[in-house]
Amino acid sequence: MIVEKIVEKAMKKAQGASAVLRRIKSDDIAFENDKLKSAKSSQSTAINLRVILDGKEGSSQTTDINDIDGLVERTLEVAEFGSKVHFDFPPFQEAPEVKVYDESVNDVNKDEMVNTSQEMMDIVKSYNSDILLHSGVEKSVRSAEYANSSGCQFSMQGTGFGMYVYGSWIRGTDILHAGHGFSWRKREVDHKAIAEKAVEFFRMAENTAKISSGEMSVIFLPQSIDVLLLALRMGFNGKNVFLGASPLAGKLGQKITDERFSLTDDPLIDYADNSGPYDSEGVTHQRTPLIENGTAVNFLYDLETAGKAGTKSTGNGPGCNPSNLVIDTGNTSYEQMIKDTKEGLIVNSVIGLGQGNPISGEFSVNVQLGYKIENGEVVGRVKDTMLAGNTYHALNNIESIGDKTEWNYGGVLTPTIKIKNLSIISK
Amino acid sequence: MRQQMEEALLKSDVEYAEIRIEDESKSWANFRGVALDSVGSSKTVGGMVRALYKGAWGYADFNDLKNLKVRVKEACESAKLIGKDKSKLARVEPVQHMTRFLLEKDFRNIPLSEKISVIQEYNDILLNYHEKIETTNVMYRDSFRKIWYANTEGTYIEDERPYATAYISATAKDGDNIQPGRESIGSSAGFQVVEGLHEKAEKAAKRAVDLLAAPPVKGGKYTVVTNPRLTGVFAHEAFGHLSESDFVYENERMKEIMVLGRRFGPNNLNIIDDGSFPDQQGTLKYDDEGVKTRQNYLIKDGILVGRLHSRETAATMGESVTGNARALAYHNEPIVRMTNTYINKGQSAFDDMIKDVKLGIYALDMIGGQTTMEMFTFSAGYAYMIRDGQICELIRDVVLTGNVFNTLMNIDMIGDDLQWAPGGPGGCGKGGQSGLTVGIGGPHIRIQDVVVGGRQ
Ligand SMILES: [Zn+2]
Repeated sequence: MIVEKIVEKAMKKAQGASAVLRRIKSDDIAFENDKLKSAKSSQSTAINLRVILDGKEGSSQTTDINDIDGLVERTLEVAEFGSKVHFDFPPFQEAPEVKVYDESVNDVNKDEMVNTSQEMMDIVKSYNSDILLHSGVEKSVRSAEYANSSGCQFSMQGTGFGMYVYGSWIRGTDILHAGHGFSWRKREVDHKAIAEKAVEFFRMAENTAKISSGEMSVIFLPQSIDVLLLALRMGFNGKNVFLGASPLAGKLGQKITDERFSLTDDPLIDYADNSGPYDSEGVTHQRTPLIENGTAVNFLYDLETAGKAGTKSTGNGPGCNPSNLVIDTGNTSYEQMIKDTKEGLIVNSVIGLGQGNPISGEFSVNVQLGYKIENGEVVGRVKDTMLAGNTYHALNNIESIGDKTEWNYGGVLTPTIKIKNLSIISK
Repeated sequence: MRQQMEEALLKSDVEYAEIRIEDESKSWANFRGVALDSVGSSKTVGGMVRALYKGAWGYADFNDLKNLKVRVKEACESAKLIGKDKSKLARVEPVQHMTRFLLEKDFRNIPLSEKISVIQEYNDILLNYHEKIETTNVMYRDSFRKIWYANTEGTYIEDERPYATAYISATAKDGDNIQPGRESIGSSAGFQVVEGLHEKAEKAAKRAVDLLAAPPVKGGKYTVVTNPRLTGVFAHEAFGHLSESDFVYENERMKEIMVLGRRFGPNNLNIIDDGSFPDQQGTLKYDDEGVKTRQNYLIKDGILVGRLHSRETAATMGESVTGNARALAYHNEPIVRMTNTYINKGQSAFDDMIKDVKLGIYALDMIGGQTTMEMFTFSAGYAYMIRDGQICELIRDVVLTGNVFNTLMNIDMIGDDLQWAPGGPGGCGKGGQSGLTVGIGGPHIRIQDVVVGGRQ
């Protein structure tokens, strides 16, 4: 393996080294404005090297597989001025069981991708031919080779497959965008169900409804769950915790949300987008519960941050970011949630998320696609409406949690969640 | 390189093809809190072939430059597989051009130790500013991109695109209350732009600490005065994206909405995109289709007069090219993007904008914005309440929203003080291409009836 040679070369001067070589081949086709517009083939190669020199770390990357001497030299140069290290590269650990490769993705050709996309568009068009559509299908085959100076080496293979159909429906100066998409590591995707979901999102928006400003119940569909999750992604990041930038620092073992709320980082779900046996530092992946019945139980760590914080890497390196996030189901059906609402909002998608002070939990977003509920029924789409709140406050004011989970693309598995008393400002 | 590219293009058997190759060297350093968090460098070489056949595009992107001819074939095959319509591509005169960038202080010759020590000074200012400063994020990054472009019409361009940026962020904490203060700068002028930012560092630290005591904005409808930097984001989000004609050219309904001659704003509103404006974030000599950049009025005296084009959208709509096809990186296709977008200055003095506001918000600097064409958001870095004509207390969490069909009409005063935003590590995102450097600017402006999110 090339990566072994790179590590060997680096170790002539360094006291530690790890190298990753990644190759991706992908193909996609895309329809734009109802027309088949583009077909693409991509090939990418990237090598990442980290070295430890006199207790300091440097890293460097190249896309040129023939530039190994240059890569080693540059990395050693960087390490001279690098950051102090608090870890060793891990020895080899047996890979946990998780499926991320599907042979049959290799066989998908562009004609088949075009047909799949066309069928999704036909479904939306048969609902309403006035909707102008964008649709596409993408597949990829990826490989990674890893080696480090502690004797760990392995290689991994993965596949990816995904598709989407989005459209705009314009009436006068009223512009409505809706659609749906999904991606994971497996060929088997129910593309018709994706298109039918897109139709449902359009159908619910046929009428426009006025919503009053004030506090009311808000139902977050899986598609918009990031409004609530963004602060948690940042808050459970071990580096933010170590630096004191996370509001959760010092709160392990404390109740931070409603008892019905549980959240897990899970990179071991077969075929999920962010699954795999190892992280990018050669540490085996593991399931890490973050919130158990409302109590904060773990943070996410990489090697360096774990070293500084005096704990162990959770396989979230480098960067301490979550892999796939899973929220446990509750026991209320989606239909019941709507029925129980006198006046409220269903949120499908927002704009402006993360453009404030997200780590504090505060959010203030425009409801790009959302529906008003009146006396237990969806009455239409709301516009020119801002939704604001605080994630931690909201998760302590859960009204109900859905009894089914759904993927938001391939990296978040979540039920629908209904929150009490969120602030709505409407024009 | 030129010979290799031109020989490979001879393999093209479609109506039009081009090759773009890029060689990028980067270096970076980042402090988080007291410690250096990461130091690194990277070298990226890659390219893309784009081929047009019967109205459809075939793309092939790659890191391996050895088989350019094979990549050209691959892109042509892809285009031929799906092309069934009629190609439209605006005519442009072939050009031969080579840009060499002269950096005042070339960051490629500056040792990493110096880059680190420059930002360490800023980091120290933040850390020592106040006991409530909990942590910091101070980053330096530079990138030097060399780009080679050739197409089957005989255009050949070599371009250099350097960029150096610094980001200075302090986090203040008081119990559960966590507040940021951020400053940034970015420029193609050279390393000197990231030097001497001690005052900016102090400002970032002070803002974070001050925001701890600031109440969140109460949600509602307000008269809002934006400072030049936030006006720039407003111009970009409220109208800039809507003028990108790939949203319009094959969409009959959008064409009706975006018909030239339609009034979108008051008589004194002028919105301009200008890739040829010297020394700004989005300044380019040629776009990524080899089209010369120029000044394009989007709104003149309140009326829609133009839009931004690629060669394909210009030909389809029967309008002139504007030089706005840009690709984020070698593996991205050029799509219609803004360059430097600004609201031109008007005649109002700042004091006059404030003095008759009973209850309003003076919103400054930007965190970002987003649009879906009709509705958009833009976020202020910080803001003050205006009460009875006076600028009063600092407030936080100010996110503003608008609707293009009435918010622009609600601009009732335009200042006489045009300024450009200072740039930084972020940028504009569209179609999976996020972080494109764009210039934004404008004067102070006043807008009536802006919806601001927040609790009541
Ligand atoms: Zn943008």
